Amino acid sequence: MPATYPDSAQLKGRDRKISEALLNKKRFRVLGLTPDDVIKYFFQGNAAVAILVLVLIMVFLLREGAGFFGQNLRNLRIYRLAGLEYVDFIKREVEAHTELTRAANALRMRQFDAYLKEGKTIEEANEALAQYDLFATAFGDTVNEVRSIASDMTEAAVAIKEKEQIYRDTLEQKAMLLRAGRSAEAEAVVASSVDFKSEVEALKAMQPAFLAANVEFASKIKAALALGGREPLQAPYMGPFNQLKKHAETYLNSFASVEAQMARWTNDQPIPWYESVTAFLFGREWLTASFWQDWYGVIPLFVGSLLVSAIALAIAVPLGVAGAIYVSEIASAAEKGIIKPYIEFISAIPSVVLGFFGVAVLGQCLRAVSQTPWLSWFPGFPMSERLNSLTAGCLLAFMAIPTIFSLAEDALNNVPRHFKEASYALGATRFQTIVRILMPASLSGIISAILLGFGRVIGETMVVLLCAGNRIAIPDFTQGIGAFFQPVHTMTGIIAQEMGEVVPGSIHYRALFMVGIVLFIIALGVNFLAQRIVKRYRISIG
Amino acid sequence: MNPKSNPFAHQSSGARLAESAAFGLFRGATYFILLCATMIFGVIVVKGSGTVFKASPPFVNWTFLTASPETLYVFEFEGKKMELGDKAFREFKAARGLDEIEAESYAHSAGGIWPCITGTFWLVIGSMGIALFIGVSSAIFLSEYSQQGRMVELIRLAILNLAGVPSIVFGLFGLGLFVHFMPVVAGFDDPSTPSFPIGFGHWLNFSGWGICLASGWFTLAFMALPVVIAASEESLKAVPRGFREGSLALGATKWQAIRTNVLPYALPGMLTSSILGIARVAGETAPILFTAAYVMRDSAPGGGLLDFLGQGVMALPYHIYVISSKIPQNEFTERVQYGTALVFLGLVTAIAMTSILLRIRMRNRYRW
Amino acid sequence: MNATFETRMDTLPQAARGSQQGAPDTSDPMIEIDHLDFYYGANHALRDISLQIPGHQVTAFIGPSGCGKSTLLRCFNRMNDLIEGTRIGNGQIRIHGIDISDPAVDTIALRRQVGMVFQKSNPFPKSIYENIAYGLQIQGVRDRRRLDEVVEKSLRGAALWDEVKDRLHTSALGLSGGQQQRVCIARAIAVEPSIILMDEPCSALDPIATAKVEELIHELKKNYTIVIVTHNMQQAGRCSDMTAFFYLGQLIEMGKTEKIFTNPVQKQTEDYISGRFG
Repeated sequence: MPATYPDSAQLKGRDRKISEALLNKKRFRVLGLTPDDVIKYFFQGNAAVAILVLVLIMVFLLREGAGFFGQNLRNLRIYRLAGLEYVDFIKREVEAHTELTRAANALRMRQFDAYLKEGKTIEEANEALAQYDLFATAFGDTVNEVRSIASDMTEAAVAIKEKEQIYRDTLEQKAMLLRAGRSAEAEAVVASSVDFKSEVEALKAMQPAFLAANVEFASKIKAALALGGREPLQAPYMGPFNQLKKHAETYLNSFASVEAQMARWTNDQPIPWYESVTAFLFGREWLTASFWQDWYGVIPLFVGSLLVSAIALAIAVPLGVAGAIYVSEIASAAEKGIIKPYIEFISAIPSVVLGFFGVAVLGQCLRAVSQTPWLSWFPGFPMSERLNSLTAGCLLAFMAIPTIFSLAEDALNNVPRHFKEASYALGATRFQTIVRILMPASLSGIISAILLGFGRVIGETMVVLLCAGNRIAIPDFTQGIGAFFQPVHTMTGIIAQEMGEVVPGSIHYRALFMVGIVLFIIALGVNFLAQRIVKRYRISIG
Repeated sequence: MNPKSNPFAHQSSGARLAESAAFGLFRGATYFILLCATMIFGVIVVKGSGTVFKASPPFVNWTFLTASPETLYVFEFEGKKMELGDKAFREFKAARGLDEIEAESYAHSAGGIWPCITGTFWLVIGSMGIALFIGVSSAIFLSEYSQQGRMVELIRLAILNLAGVPSIVFGLFGLGLFVHFMPVVAGFDDPSTPSFPIGFGHWLNFSGWGICLASGWFTLAFMALPVVIAASEESLKAVPRGFREGSLALGATKWQAIRTNVLPYALPGMLTSSILGIARVAGETAPILFTAAYVMRDSAPGGGLLDFLGQGVMALPYHIYVISSKIPQNEFTERVQYGTALVFLGLVTAIAMTSILLRIRMRNRYRW
Repeated sequence: MNATFETRMDTLPQAARGSQQGAPDTSDPMIEIDHLDFYYGANHALRDISLQIPGHQVTAFIGPSGCGKSTLLRCFNRMNDLIEGTRIGNGQIRIHGIDISDPAVDTIALRRQVGMVFQKSNPFPKSIYENIAYGLQIQGVRDRRRLDEVVEKSLRGAALWDEVKDRLHTSALGLSGGQQQRVCIARAIAVEPSIILMDEPCSALDPIATAKVEELIHELKKNYTIVIVTHNMQQAGRCSDMTAFFYLGQLIEMGKTEKIFTNPVQKQTEDYISGRFG
């Protein structure tokens, strides 16, 4: 204690007592903390839970997800080592042919329907199509030889892959026995590694047979194309037919490159580690539980999520912002009193109920609308599926509207009164004031509202799981607006759908966690952007 | 006065026309939103009422509310079309000594939803208890104790970001942490997980709690945390500064001031605003998908506290998901679907309504 | 553990009461301020203030808005601790010879010795009785009889007893503005401090209520040392013994009230008092 204090003995009795009370040396302490400090740290600890949870989310997403890349790399390496990649050259060629055959059959169908509409009977229609059928059947049959070779090779490649799997399983079993201390039994387990080199040599031995078949295949296609005659179809369908023929020719020309690729291919070309990352981030296929090869590419899911969100925002932004403007600037006080709670109330509707509504009512309604004849001019109508991006998008829009509405309304209300008054004083109409003064002044607030709405939409699970149609494929954007009516699968949906069925620790399980990480990063990004914009907006106003 | 000379007379200009057109558009958009909401409510209420209510006294279909879900059997017997639930169907067969009756079966389409109601109830109670405890404490720290600094900034940032994390990510987090990782005390050393002896012949095995109520509680609680904190802080901020100063100036300790002159006035507001958080939690499906929800469970969870916490439950939102996507759609399942949706929507609506109404009343009551 | 805590609580008011029983000694400086510098963040709010406040007298702080008089007042019971970014740069404030910024000084004990009445009357939204008893209750006094006694004594002390004795258990918020402020004064004297700080206690009151409060202040100085911040020169003239004039964070002049008002030394003081600025 500083020496400047008067000696307590010098103080009068009264003062001494007060001084003692002030200095209060008897304050109760535990570990140097007063009870008040303890209480404070208790509350602080609780507040820190928010940080802890956020950190734990990151840690556990990474803990469960990070192993994915290693497993996927092995997955990709075996794809090459076991020769699956090699066989895929042929399989792709066969698939392309199947695609062409399907187009040819679809064309026949259209012509057939047209004949029926003309008043022909079924027999007459079939007769009129005889020439075309000659071509179509011949074309369809050309692939048989190649297809059977492809299926032989598929079997061989799968066998190699299985051998590798058995080898791994045996190793695992051995390790487990060793861990359990049963070394004698472990000795007895023999694991023989797979000699990929020689196995794949056997696979490649089938190449001459394939090449021969391929030559045959090409000449057969040419012959089939000639069978079509000059005009097997009516004029309106000749265009597509010629198109088809052109496609077939391009297809024929691609044979050379397939053969070249096969000739070049070896199974000892190493696969760099980053391929595992790019295969996930840019992979265009999400294919799981396949007997052949699993692919974990996030692109179709990502595009699906984006597409659905885009539809939702396209609907929700105009409605939400218009609603906000109406309520904050135009509506009477009584109207406001009803509309505001009602819209806020919408946000309390559970998403699963909306999803159910989509399945039970909305999907059906939208499809019925798209099937009305006078709307048939609209691209993509009629919709082929009841549950598609549009159905999910409409419902998501409904979920985003309350978010966008309330935040945009706040932004509008935060514009200082004098801005508005100054505008009115200059003789501007209310509409002019809204468009020229209020909107620009609150623009950043509205943008951040839209961003947060986007965050809400892209992270929403149940609606898309129930209503988006769950087809894992990148929508066919060549169809223009029609792409909006195709079923998609989304990042949130795939996690919800597949997580229940996977084995913890498997590559599929980890892939789903990786999708979760992507979602998490998007959510943080959206949040960050929205905050940045709001911060800047505060400065510009204030 | 000559109208021409009146400069303030109404003029129909382009600007005015544009204004009324635009306002019409805005109004249309607003009422369109309301219309959509009304339609959704309408459809579910109208179709769901058929299941939940009946035309004759007691007007409420108690079986639906109080029985467990069962498989429905539809069959023809002696020329009559019969619909029986699983139990009734077996009794029916036994009574007539028949082994097999040709019947079509529809999963989950008979019985009721009682286990889902209780499951949702327990999920909400537990998670809100946790969320309120942590959330209110956090809010007290943030609004009463905190001073500008790195720590507080970090906490606020964390809360903001937590609010934006998608619910399914919370589900994954719950799966990774609670279901697969959290330690349990057991009488053996689990070789497949990290485990530590704690003496008395027991080990702490990091094998996870599994799919159970406790996992669901914490997952949902952490999800509701930002809402609860925001609501609580707002109510604390609404208590005038003078109460704190007056109390401190009389020599109260900080905690005494908070306990006697801040919390009593903020608590009602905290609770009512947090009810909105409850509505959120009750309505969420994604976080409980793989942390707490079972497709089927006959009885409500019971037993001792630990047993109780270690059991999974059925929940209304999950049940709706199951019956609207996992089983084929037909007229029989439709009844259960709409009925469940109505009960669930009614529940959530009631909670949200309570919160909104209470909040308006609170605002009117406390004026300082 | 709890026992220690409670004992401490109980000994305190007795110590405080003891101080009242001693004979009033007006010559003793109650509060001494030595070269005090005070900062709000980077803002130098008080500059090199030195003054002594005598016991059992009313000292008025006057000066234009923002001159630092309220800030200085809030230093005496360390209410400024509650505001972020405030700090004492230099100097000391001693109450009863104790440096109150010393870490050994407990702010809680300090505030029980140095009561405060605020500019805006801030009764708690409780009953009148609970408002007055609050200070003792938080010290752990549970004895109903003692509480009743103190409540009556304090209300009488604040000249409010006759007006509210029939509705002690109704909300204090139902009282008029002047009554509310007197409840706050009663609340402050209930814990028996030795010093009462008043931060513009009458600024929100009508003239009649103001007169009552001023009368009360006059009464209170028998038992307490009072420091009052006021905007109202007449008020300072009417009810204070000593007056200190502040301007831009500096003490310009301090002295006996009659002297300051009739014959100030400094030109600035004279200008302010004659209403030329402020």
